[in-house]
Amino acid sequence: MVTAIRDHLPVLVVVAPLCVSFVLPTLVRRLRLAEGLTTLIAVIGLSGAGYLASLVLSGGGTSTVYSMGGWPAPWGVELVVGSAAALMLLTAAMVSLPAVLFSVNHLSQEVGSSNRAVWFYTLFLLLYGALAGMAVTNDIFNVYVLVEVAMLSCCGMVAARTDSRAAESALTYLILVSLGSALLLGGIGLIYIITGHLNMGYASQELSRIWQDYPRVVRLAASFFLVGLGVKSALFPLHVWLPDALSCAPSPASAVLSGLAVKGYLICLMKVLYNVFGGSLIQQLALDKIITVLGMAGIIAASLFALAQDELKRRLAFSTVAQLGYALLGMGLVNASALTGALFYMAAHAASTAVLFLAAGAIVTATGKKRVSELAGIGRKMPVTMAAFTVGSLSLAGVPLFAGFVGKWNLLLGSLEAGNWLGAAAVIVGSVLCGAYLFPVIRAAYLEPAPSDDKRQDPGWLQKLSMILLGAAVIILGVMPGPFLKLARRAAVDFIAVR
Amino acid sequence: MLLNKLLINYPYFAAVILFAVGAVIVLTRANLIKKLIGINIIESAVFLMFAAAGNIRGGVPPILDQTSPGRVYVNPLPSALMLTGIVVSVSVSALALSLVYRVYKAYGTLDARRIAEMKSEVRDRW
Repeated sequence: MVTAIRDHLPVLVVVAPLCVSFVLPTLVRRLRLAEGLTTLIAVIGLSGAGYLASLVLSGGGTSTVYSMGGWPAPWGVELVVGSAAALMLLTAAMVSLPAVLFSVNHLSQEVGSSNRAVWFYTLFLLLYGALAGMAVTNDIFNVYVLVEVAMLSCCGMVAARTDSRAAESALTYLILVSLGSALLLGGIGLIYIITGHLNMGYASQELSRIWQDYPRVVRLAASFFLVGLGVKSALFPLHVWLPDALSCAPSPASAVLSGLAVKGYLICLMKVLYNVFGGSLIQQLALDKIITVLGMAGIIAASLFALAQDELKRRLAFSTVAQLGYALLGMGLVNASALTGALFYMAAHAASTAVLFLAAGAIVTATGKKRVSELAGIGRKMPVTMAAFTVGSLSLAGVPLFAGFVGKWNLLLGSLEAGNWLGAAAVIVGSVLCGAYLFPVIRAAYLEPAPSDDKRQDPGWLQKLSMILLGAAVIILGVMPGPFLKLARRAAVDFIAVR
Repeated sequence: MLLNKLLINYPYFAAVILFAVGAVIVLTRANLIKKLIGINIIESAVFLMFAAAGNIRGGVPPILDQTSPGRVYVNPLPSALMLTGIVVSVSVSALALSLVYRVYKAYGTLDARRIAEMKSEVRDRW
């Protein structure tokens, strides 16, 4: 039994959340049970991810290959648990568990009724399963299916509140993102037509042999992937849906959307670009320059937009777009340090942005105040919430000893290694701008006097616990980045070594 | 030469035209239902491209017949993949239509531009 579970763990981390999510709709009247099951799956997911990561770490970076249904690679679907997959699984589990804990006893308030809360957990588990699948899959059509599952569940989560703005922003999201899906499927089709393979490894081998015969098709396919997955992961000029969606969604959903869902698409993009096209082909097609420029533009422009926002959640949403720019910049520099930085930063940002969104959600629930200018004196009334918010902000601004710093440092090294001074400048300017839009919130919260008729207080203990857990994760990642950094570095080296 | 290529590859040509038509509809029409129709057209274009890629001229259905070797079979895989794609596209349409219904009930219109105007008024009042 135990060995069977161990052998099938790569597929179980994907299938277990999906199976439970299909059971949850039968429990709409039993919110407690649904909450318990979701928490259980999040805990199991975390331990499964931890076990797989420890296997990868102790195995010296060798990947476990799992053939679905026992069909070997060129015919069957392959799941590969390598360093990148382990990192992504671990990040997903690390952020999902606190997000679920935050939702317990709280979600019904945000989405209107306990029935709707159970449906929300259904969608949440679907998203979690799809994210785990994106992390481990090695088949480009499988990527498409998982991306669609994630997209539909995200869309449902954005529309979970009953107000009209939620429905409207979910619809905008769905329309833009389905355009992205069509492009993604087109890219997959082009790759399949010229290589005859859907498995990333085989497609890559074939592509390196024949790409010179079809340079235009390869270029078209690469741009389809970039734009299609770019819309989904809200990369800079394609981010228009993100601020509305994140500010309308319930706070655990915003935390997971901003922390994990967009990262899932980004890791798919990274896998397709590096494992199918390969580093050298990216450079020959000049894709690396486009990606680097988009990344830098995203860091600077989205940070400036964030400065202009007064609504706290919208400010955080633009911050997300800016931080995704860092990951994109690292992807475009095509060297091991920059990719290490990008991968680590994705994990660090997932934890930091999740804690920020949960804290913002707690503030909105307690006070009904959405604007930054209305938060005066809140630090003394809601100490745990604001402490968590402070930790998240310091991490995103790249202060040493917090998670964000380690990622940004590696990105900086990577840009210098690539001789890209503009990239290095963008990393630093982005951090300064990040401080400029997040620190005023903290200053207002701690240094300005609170209005006298103030009855605001911290949320319930589970919500506090979830914020403390995430805050602790941010600090641990910053002080002892060891295993995560090791996974990120090995993943980066693997990505670069493809060709 | 170019015309000849287009004639030989006419399914792909049709797919490109369909894709462009769909994209224009999604990006220029304000009516939400028309936008959804545009998305469906785009998806059909991609399905057509896949299905065309699986076809081989003169191929027979891929049922192994050992009595007559040397036959050319069409590739069944793209069609199978597109069944999945169609299922996804149907679910996206269903979800999108349910959201359109909610938006219509809330705003009383299907015009995306007017909805955007109303939304910005709501935000200004906050």
